[in-house]
Amino acid sequence: MNFSKTVAMLAGLLLSIAASAKTIEMEVNGLVCAFCAQGIEKTLKSFPATEAVLVSLEHRLVAVALKDGTDIDDATLRQALTEAGYTVVDIRRTDASLEALRAGMKPHD
Amino acid sequence: MHIQRVAAALLLACVSVGANAKPIAFARGTTVMAEFGAGTMNEIQAFYAPRYWWSVGASWLELQSEDGVTRRRIELARANLLAKRWNLPGAQANVFVWGGLGRATGNDFAGSTLARDVGFQADYETRRVYAAFRSDLEESTRYSHRIDTLQLGWAPYAHDYDTAAIWFVVQGRRYTGSLFEGTETAFLLRFFKGGTWIEAGATRDGKLQAMAMFNF
Repeated sequence: MNFSKTVAMLAGLLLSIAASAKTIEMEVNGLVCAFCAQGIEKTLKSFPATEAVLVSLEHRLVAVALKDGTDIDDATLRQALTEAGYTVVDIRRTDASLEALRAGMKPHD
Repeated sequence: MHIQRVAAALLLACVSVGANAKPIAFARGTTVMAEFGAGTMNEIQAFYAPRYWWSVGASWLELQSEDGVTRRRIELARANLLAKRWNLPGAQANVFVWGGLGRATGNDFAGSTLARDVGFQADYETRRVYAAFRSDLEESTRYSHRIDTLQLGWAPYAHDYDTAAIWFVVQGRRYTGSLFEGTETAFLLRFFKGGTWIEAGATRDGKLQAMAMFNF
């Protein structure tokens, strides 16, 4: 019985990790220059859960790739960007990697 | 005397080119700026911003007239405050205010004097256009003058974080007060990528202006 419970818990944990989002996308107002991006990147990289950061001025997008099994809640992200001087319009979670997001931003031929 | 006034005005034009950059880059960011103008001006500024809305730092400025006769040094401790920011989709507008205290020395007056500086800047920026107006009032018991500066910038393409930005900037400046009365126009080419900013240009009479700024 204990063995079954343990197996079930481990399976649940693995499923929850697999199902968790890899990347958080934020639509941000006020992104117009490299210094803006530099400040936001510096702020978000200070989070232990952050694997990498992507900032696109053109798409007004800030994306955070998360380390496996970690997360950053929306309130913390909104506070971080507000304290960096910018306005968060929307927060979305996706399984897409930063590379995939970056590829999707390239202009189509 | 007239030549010295014109030379001093040109020097101050060079000084203010660098100052038209925002005095606060980002939270927990350090800004270091070095400027050289027409071989007659040297300036170094350093600011640290604990938060995105204020920064503190110091500036060291050396001015020399074109004939090398008159020299002035102004050293200030300065605080900058972002009074208001508007974050818009694809645009940003700001109002900054600042004040500084320090000392000035020069060979056109004896000893040193308490130097004061107050000013403000209002700017609007997208990735393709830039407009900024700033006003500086500099005073001591030995001098008092105000400089109003308008900058209009245009980028030939919209840059992103990982691409280099190029801006063409037209600058108009009006001087009032004891130093010089008049206006001046300059044309500048601005280049930046990441935390590095380089700017160079010339006044209408061909005086070179150049500036480098680093944010980290």
